[in-house]
Amino acid sequence: MPARSSRPPNAIALRDAAVTFATDAGLFTACQNINLDIETGSFVVLIGPSGCGKSTLLRLVADLLPCAAGTAEVNGAPPEAARKARAVSFVFQDSTLLPWRSVMDNISLPLQVGRWAALGRGHRPVKELLELVRMSGREAAMPHELSGGMRQRVAIARALVTQPDILLMDEPFAALDEITRESLNEEVLRIWRETGTTVVFVTHSLEEAAYLGQRVVVMAANPGRIADIIDLRQAKPDNRIDRSSQAFFEITTGLRRVLEKAYRGEIAA
Amino acid sequence: MSMLKPLPRKRNLTWLWPLAGGLSLLLLWSGIIVLGEVRPFIAPAPWDVAAEIWKNRVLLAQNFWPTLLEAVAGFICGNLAAISVAVIFVHFHTVQKMYLPIAVLFNTIPVIALAPILILIFGINITPKIIIASLVCFFPTLVNMIRGLEAYTSSEMELMRVMSASRLEIFLRLRLPRSLPFLFSALRISCTSCVIGAIVGEWIGSTMGIGSLIIQATFNYRSGLLYAAICMSSALALSLFAIVIASEKKFLRW
Ligand SMILES: Nc1ncnc2c1ncn2[C@@H]1O[C@H](COP(=O)(O)OP(=O)(O)O)[C@@H](O)[C@H]1O
Ligand SMILES: [Mg+2]
Repeated sequence: MPARSSRPPNAIALRDAAVTFATDAGLFTACQNINLDIETGSFVVLIGPSGCGKSTLLRLVADLLPCAAGTAEVNGAPPEAARKARAVSFVFQDSTLLPWRSVMDNISLPLQVGRWAALGRGHRPVKELLELVRMSGREAAMPHELSGGMRQRVAIARALVTQPDILLMDEPFAALDEITRESLNEEVLRIWRETGTTVVFVTHSLEEAAYLGQRVVVMAANPGRIADIIDLRQAKPDNRIDRSSQAFFEITTGLRRVLEKAYRGEIAA
Repeated sequence: MSMLKPLPRKRNLTWLWPLAGGLSLLLLWSGIIVLGEVRPFIAPAPWDVAAEIWKNRVLLAQNFWPTLLEAVAGFICGNLAAISVAVIFVHFHTVQKMYLPIAVLFNTIPVIALAPILILIFGINITPKIIIASLVCFFPTLVNMIRGLEAYTSSEMELMRVMSASRLEIFLRLRLPRSLPFLFSALRISCTSCVIGAIVGEWIGSTMGIGSLIIQATFNYRSGLLYAAICMSSALALSLFAIVIASEKKFLRW
């Protein structure tokens, strides 16, 4: 998919953004002072200790949670507009396939809701998507017949059927074994290259972050905030790297140091 | 040295067990009647009941159809009403908070007490029996359906919201399919209890139906006919149950 001409330079722009939850104990700030620009077409990974607000940040971008302070812009407009324009797709940790629908029907679900027909935009043929996620021939299978890795492939195909500008992935491979995860990591990069979609990928795996991200946003908890942003574009030309190389080892080691600091909360709010 | 042989495929004859159980109870029943020399008008032997069913087949059939009609009409009305109310309740929580406790309260009234009231209002005709059968179905389906319509996961709801799905789309494509297993477990209950509802309605005031046949047979000491009528009502409930199970198999293949 060629980059759409109308796309703004920053797919996502967060300025002093904060998200709060009303709890029994009063207002709880899940994340605050978030300043983050994500370039259109780039691959950004969010990493940090659990509870630091990674999912919250994705939900803010997806317009599932409101911005309590600061501003959030998606495709140069408020998140709500991007959601209504179906510019954003979400992949969850549990594949969230509807168990009563076949693979084919799950992938076409996004085309059956949310005024898709009225938008008059083209979608990607399901056959082509099945090929893209290497699930050809399984269109009639029911979700319970598939392995965890296959279910995530289908969930990714479903997210791409609307040809979204932005793909948000919340720990999509956290429940999978390491070998499956590594092969799916490669697939995600291939799909990212092929589609030109902006990807924001949440993980708590150092290796996954180091392998996937052009930039890695390290977050810290209490309150949820950005601790550091590590640019890997120099270290990984073309965003390709061999997992067994010395360069990859150096990247993960550097990332580990920053992450450990974030875990210890040494980085000031 | 051990050889790995494929396990022989077990033939699906599980229905033989309850059949064997039923036969053993029939045998016990026969034994008690014969050895205890129980007089026929106190309790008949199984073969007496079978003979009675055959002898009274026309009478039984005449009384079978009204009960079937009342039970099925009550089943349909009661469940449709319960499903509609559940749909309203899950979409308007204030309405649910106002009226669900009242439904719970109403459910504590015994059907047997409600029947005379309904007959006073509607007269001795088919209407009060259908209403009683509906009322018996209503509550279990209402409670199950409310739970079923809320039985989606949070990520499923978030998926629908990211796709900007409307309330109607969320209902049709997520909540309704999610509720089906709950609905069917309620239907399994109500398809047998609607028969009880119809029969209770017939007890209070009717000249037709299995219920009135039971009353007449009891007052005339015709225990063979009484047992035959009971067999008819069980057969009716069982066939409704079989229909529900069959449609569950058809609709819930996942
Ligand atoms: N719906 C909610 N209500 C109250 N608190 C919440 C809610 N969702 C998340 N939180 C809190 O916000 C913080 C960030 O959560 P989350 O974004 O899920 O973290 P992460 O994805 O990084 O593990 C956590 O402390 C969590 O307890
Ligand atoms: Mg999370």
